[in-house]
Amino acid sequence: MSLHADVSATFTADGAESFHVDAEIEVERGESLVILGPSGSGKTLLLETVAGFHPHDGPVTLDGERVSDTSPEKRDFGFVFQDYALFPHMTVRENVDFGSRYHDDTRDGEELLAELGVAALTDRYPPTLSGGEQQRVALARALAVRPEVILLDEPLAALDVPTRQSLRDDLADVLADATAVYVTHNRTTARALADRIVIMNDGQVVQSGTPEEIFHRPKSPMVARFTGSNVVDLDDAPSLRSALDVGGDDVVTIRPESVALGDDGDVRGTVERVVREDATNRVTVSIDRTSVEAFAERAPAVGDEVWLTLSENDIHVCRRTAPRA
Amino acid sequence: MATSTETRFSLDGVGRVSLAVAFVALQALAFAAAYTIGRPTWYAFFMIGSTAVTAYVLRRDSFVVAAATMGSILMVALGLPLFMFVARQQPSIVVEKALSSDVHRMLYLGIYGPLLAAIVSLLFGIPLAHLFSEGFAGQQLVESLVDLPLVVPHSVAGIIILFGFGSGGAFPNVSVLGSMIGMVLAMTFVSAPYAVNATREAFESIDDRLEYASRIHGASRWDTFRRVTAPLAVRGMVTGGVLAWARAVSEFGAVAVVAYSVSFFYPPAGGEVTAQHAPVFVYGTYLQGGLAESGAVAFILLAVSALIFLIIRYLTSGSSTTGGVV
Repeated sequence: MSLHADVSATFTADGAESFHVDAEIEVERGESLVILGPSGSGKTLLLETVAGFHPHDGPVTLDGERVSDTSPEKRDFGFVFQDYALFPHMTVRENVDFGSRYHDDTRDGEELLAELGVAALTDRYPPTLSGGEQQRVALARALAVRPEVILLDEPLAALDVPTRQSLRDDLADVLADATAVYVTHNRTTARALADRIVIMNDGQVVQSGTPEEIFHRPKSPMVARFTGSNVVDLDDAPSLRSALDVGGDDVVTIRPESVALGDDGDVRGTVERVVREDATNRVTVSIDRTSVEAFAERAPAVGDEVWLTLSENDIHVCRRTAPRA
Repeated sequence: MATSTETRFSLDGVGRVSLAVAFVALQALAFAAAYTIGRPTWYAFFMIGSTAVTAYVLRRDSFVVAAATMGSILMVALGLPLFMFVARQQPSIVVEKALSSDVHRMLYLGIYGPLLAAIVSLLFGIPLAHLFSEGFAGQQLVESLVDLPLVVPHSVAGIIILFGFGSGGAFPNVSVLGSMIGMVLAMTFVSAPYAVNATREAFESIDDRLEYASRIHGASRWDTFRRVTAPLAVRGMVTGGVLAWARAVSEFGAVAVVAYSVSFFYPPAGGEVTAQHAPVFVYGTYLQGGLAESGAVAFILLAVSALIFLIIRYLTSGSSTTGGVV
């Protein structure tokens, strides 16, 4: 089932300025759409609005059928929340079976729990479970009602790194054939799970596309920075401008993994900082009045002169100001 | 916070309970001794001193010792009159009053009337509290109206009820003066804020996402309230009900104005009897029989109220719907 939403909603909180969400998303049947954006960009509010938790203008349609005026319980969505939102007064089994009385076609709760590796927890109460266990139960609860679309709001954000990686792998399996909208601020998760990505900022979609497009052809410096690219103002890096042979008043974005360090290359710089990251090193190299990040298996010393080789295919020229998606 | 290098006693749960029991026993013994030798003032100083010493031995923290000492002064002001009240009762008068049918009627009315008021407060207060927790336009105005009885002198509350619902009031066919309806109305007027506010706090403490999770997985608003919201707020509702009941039990001013004497169905008599609400009865006894007789009645009322309060606390303390995990 495909989902299309073009919603507009205003949110006010005590003592805060009102926040406006005005965004359009479209998810095809069996597709995983990831909404990626910084904290406070309105991702969660958009997801909750699509789910029907907040009043809004604009249509939400499922396979072309308008559900905007339908209450949340009739929209046929599943929802996995960041902080699990398991019912603390019900056992794991009762949580997973919660929706069974409202749906004709449901999945067996125990079978789901077994698939997600938490079959032994059926009689436990949520507050006695670890974060990873709670999120698996929450996922089982959402899947149990066989939702047409499953909505996930940063389900990995509250978990430690090993648990996050393990659950991300399981989510990749679960979402393989599902129609899903997944909200996250983590670009690694987005890359791992997305068929398509939309980038949100300040309540609006600023770019949408495949992961390849988003990560390698960002439309704005904001998207580039958020997806981990180097953003270089060529006015601050004349040597890079001449090396790349790019004219005009441009900003270029370069993926750090597309920058090679060596004894020879396109442009020379000085190593500013080296940070060890799992199996590699993230090296910051200053060039003229700016700096560029690269990955290197062998860490150079801070202060070393190094040459950078840039893969021209991975250099993207973009406008200084963000266009609307 | 820096780790203290000073030696302090560290107590586990059992140790804490044992210490508390020992402390209470010591206080009881000290009061009994001071009272016996006719020097209850000495006990006041003993209580303050023993609290300060205990705080010092346990925590060795000047801030804690100061706080405990100041707190113990308030406890003396609250507790000493109560201890003296109990100690000075004359058993023969207490027994005589305990066997009096007037006192039985007073106790029945003093429990039954407030129970009705608490039920009414909860029945109509829970929906209002839920609306408060969600928020609505003009909420502050409605909240102020709900809280108004907290600041209005209760005799004034009684007058207001008579103007509103008494002769010439909004419901001419309803008799409130000297009736059970009037008494329950007066009690509800003064006790409803406690039921509403305690329940609202319980609703507000529930994460919105639990209700979202219920809705998105198929439950209607009614089912969400029944299956998620209400079970999670039940402790707050019980607390609100108990507070409302307790407030109604102790209500004097409004009830004295609206329903000084009340006719009601009294099961042991198999018919209508006339009696007074407990605080009104105690006041009447004080005017007619003096301190000793009114003290005996008050002692019985206090004992029954405390017993009911403890029973409710016992029934609700271990009965968490989460199996005791939250």
